[in-house]
Amino acid sequence: MLKKAIGTGLALSVTMVTFTSCEHQEFTNEKEDAKRVEVQTISPDMAKVRDYVPLYAVIAHRGSTFWAPEETEAAWRWARNMGADYLESDLQASKDCVVLANHDDNLSRTTNVENVFSEYVPSSRKDFYRSFKNADGTQHFTEADIAEQYAADVASFRPYYAMSYYYHELLMLDAGSWFNETSLEQARPGFANQHQYVSALRDQIAYAEGRKLNRDANGERVLTYKIKDEYKDMSLKQIREAMPQAKYMAFVEYDWSNAYVADDKDNGNRPGIYPEFKESWVNPSNMVQLVYDELNACGWNIITKPEAENAPFYANGKVNIGNTNGKVILQTFTFDALRQYNEIFAGRVPMCYLLWEGKGATDLTYTTPTGYADIIKFALDNGCHIIGPAISGAPNNYPEMNEPWQAYMIRKSGMINHPYSFDSYAQMGKYMGIYNYGIETSYDDLMRITVDPTQYTVFTSPVSLPVYMDGFFTNRTEMSLRYMIDQGFRCNKLPNPFYADRVYDNSQAPADVPDAEAVLEYLGY
Amino acid sequence: MMALCLAGNAQDFDNDPTVQLQKNDAKFTVGARMMGDVAYYHSDFTPLKSGASLTDARIRTSFSYRDWYFYADFGFGGGKFSQKNIFAQWNKENWANGWNVVKAGYYNDPGSMARNTSLGSYHFISRPGSTMALGVGRELGVTYKFYNNMWFANQGISTDHTYNNQIAGFDGVAVSGRWLVRPLNTEDQTFHIGVNARFAHRGGGEVTNNVINKKLTIGQALETYVDGTEDLVTAELPWVNNVVNVGAELLYRNPKFFARGEFLYKHVTKKRDSYSLFEDAQNNIDCWGTYEAWLAANPLRNNNFYGGYVELGYMIFGSPYTYSNADGVLGGLKGKSLEIVARYNYTGLNDIVDGEYYSVGRDQYYPTGYMQDYPYASSSVGGGNVNAVTVGVNFSFNKYIQVMADYTYTHLDRDKLPYDRDFHAVQGRVQFTF
Repeated sequence: MLKKAIGTGLALSVTMVTFTSCEHQEFTNEKEDAKRVEVQTISPDMAKVRDYVPLYAVIAHRGSTFWAPEETEAAWRWARNMGADYLESDLQASKDCVVLANHDDNLSRTTNVENVFSEYVPSSRKDFYRSFKNADGTQHFTEADIAEQYAADVASFRPYYAMSYYYHELLMLDAGSWFNETSLEQARPGFANQHQYVSALRDQIAYAEGRKLNRDANGERVLTYKIKDEYKDMSLKQIREAMPQAKYMAFVEYDWSNAYVADDKDNGNRPGIYPEFKESWVNPSNMVQLVYDELNACGWNIITKPEAENAPFYANGKVNIGNTNGKVILQTFTFDALRQYNEIFAGRVPMCYLLWEGKGATDLTYTTPTGYADIIKFALDNGCHIIGPAISGAPNNYPEMNEPWQAYMIRKSGMINHPYSFDSYAQMGKYMGIYNYGIETSYDDLMRITVDPTQYTVFTSPVSLPVYMDGFFTNRTEMSLRYMIDQGFRCNKLPNPFYADRVYDNSQAPADVPDAEAVLEYLGY
Repeated sequence: MMALCLAGNAQDFDNDPTVQLQKNDAKFTVGARMMGDVAYYHSDFTPLKSGASLTDARIRTSFSYRDWYFYADFGFGGGKFSQKNIFAQWNKENWANGWNVVKAGYYNDPGSMARNTSLGSYHFISRPGSTMALGVGRELGVTYKFYNNMWFANQGISTDHTYNNQIAGFDGVAVSGRWLVRPLNTEDQTFHIGVNARFAHRGGGEVTNNVINKKLTIGQALETYVDGTEDLVTAELPWVNNVVNVGAELLYRNPKFFARGEFLYKHVTKKRDSYSLFEDAQNNIDCWGTYEAWLAANPLRNNNFYGGYVELGYMIFGSPYTYSNADGVLGGLKGKSLEIVARYNYTGLNDIVDGEYYSVGRDQYYPTGYMQDYPYASSSVGGGNVNAVTVGVNFSFNKYIQVMADYTYTHLDRDKLPYDRDFHAVQGRVQFTF
């Protein structure tokens, strides 16, 4: 018995040593885990909306951050004429709930707000209230009513934040001159001379439609206002009490019908728009509904006014996305906005969920394949069609959220991948897989495509490479368009990564990329 | 004399160090223990590190003089020196045919049968996971123990930290005890039933903005030492005030068979200086507004955790199973023996509020049941629930050396690790003690 026990023990020891000394080393391996983790996939209905979005889209981040003051008339007109597919923006609301297209919640960086207004409620606020007149020319609101409202304004005032100012007051700000002071090489007199305003979403849509601001003889925009009909018999106090949130006073109606004129410098491109819902505390609680309504009012809500299913993304060498069901892509980092989007838009307008790594309120903190799959599921469950991961690289040096294994998981879900934001050829080369050309990678099964040469490409025989994005936010639209054309991702017929039997045809996209500065000259800046 | 020897044994061992020097009433002993483990793991997702490990290496010494006994052992397993037991003990036979024992120093808390059984005498390669997660280990304190053939009562007081090296604050204090009755206790059979309890006022913590946060980390390895990570089953509890442990246990043994089990319950109360935290939060435009609103957004909830195990053993041949009256535990293998053993263990470190949503990507519970930008704080704890089954075979060549082999299947249920469900471990051990 003893011998048997010893024998058993020895056999066990040998077995264990064999097990533990074998060559296969087990360790946490994101590459392998990305393939092992279950990834929720997009539903057929949502895939249909996903397909509203053109592949390999060049998204002009804030219009332009490099060549012009961001999210202004100058930036978006430039991006449109350059041939960008989308004009990107950020959604906020003014105190009177005009939907703004403006990035920073604090206006100090991109306007002269600190010079125009003090760190207090604008001194002109009472005069603004007094400016509303009755039909007989008398003042509409009483002085006592105005005084009480002013006190309420003071109580809820947040200095320099867009939410604290009526849109009429925001129009007093200069959103262009700062650029000339911080971007000396790209500075242009026109950015200061032609008053660049804090933009409204309607402005952005107008630029995408080939229009520009209606300006008076002094170059100031024409935008009259009055009390909305539903509030015309109310005092300010009654209006305040009727508001869902007292700090917002959505009683002013602006005359948008006369706010724009045809842009004589429009070159015919019709890009879409790509606005972002900001953090929930920045905006009124009904912000998503406001945007829905605003898109409706502009005829840009495809739920209420769909475009033809077969409308092409490009036609006759022009961008035509603004005339397709892909004309609006919404985006957000925030859980609250996404949930509201899902309630109101119900996944019927393309939506991008943006990723950022960190410990902030809406950041992805667990950046493993398991965590990534969880966020993809959250996005899909809330009606998203696109994931927008941050990418690394100068000058922004964002956290890397689009490693090949992460791009693979997005592809596995059937969602589109729109990383942000690009500033260099190196970044484009990295995420378009050029550095993986000619080698076998772990993700070739889903990511590798073959690109045929065109008359515009820098190569003359087909290239096969894994592509880690389906479009991207860029600060250098001119560089990005050039890259995509040179590498055959634009003005070509390409494999469709979502359908093995379909070809993605963007051969009608503009093949010429104008000179960035020449376009600004042409637009008069 | 035998009784005195039993009374004098260190709780981590059920035999005396072997090398003895004796002069008149004084006796000095020295011994050693070594455990070498080898393990192969297979898991669904997160790999464990298979391999071999010198799990335990110790020098142990004792000195006895008349009614006094001094003991110290020092570990150097893992290549690092570690403080093990060190205590002085006074033993005196009492009127009830039993012993009074007073002990002071650094040694195991009285609670939990498994934690008071020497690993060298344990019939499995590791103690049950529930006792590691919910039980208590060594403490610096003083205990009084009474025992005779029928009764066992061991109780004492100890500090919460051994070296008073907490970042800030009071060292903390705990009172605890273990009480057994043995309706059946003969040379051939023992049946004991008992309870244990411990109340600890948590001491020490981190101070931020003049508010102390006393934390408690509970967790367990997957009943293995070669990869002893507790990352898979662990929870960190903030704002701990008091910790109450309550346990119950049963043990039966005869020469060929033993069965034993424990139930463990841990109740953790919370306390914090909420008003100071609220006050500190009122430093920007986004502050909470009212104290009531802050409290609603930052609820504080006590936590409850449960666990337990059942162990069975059958002696195929060899020396009969023994029982220590002095420690109320089963003895180890003595002499040439072969046994088979089995164990079921449950550890419950999930204390999750119904209806909350957990995001793996955020590693966060959401009280509303969906993700929000600025949710109220959750009081859920997702440390993991564990079900583990172990079968093993142990062979001792003699009283000094034995080999062990275990297979353990562990099933984990933890929100944070949705793909880590099933773990398999095959383990072996070579152990000598003298």
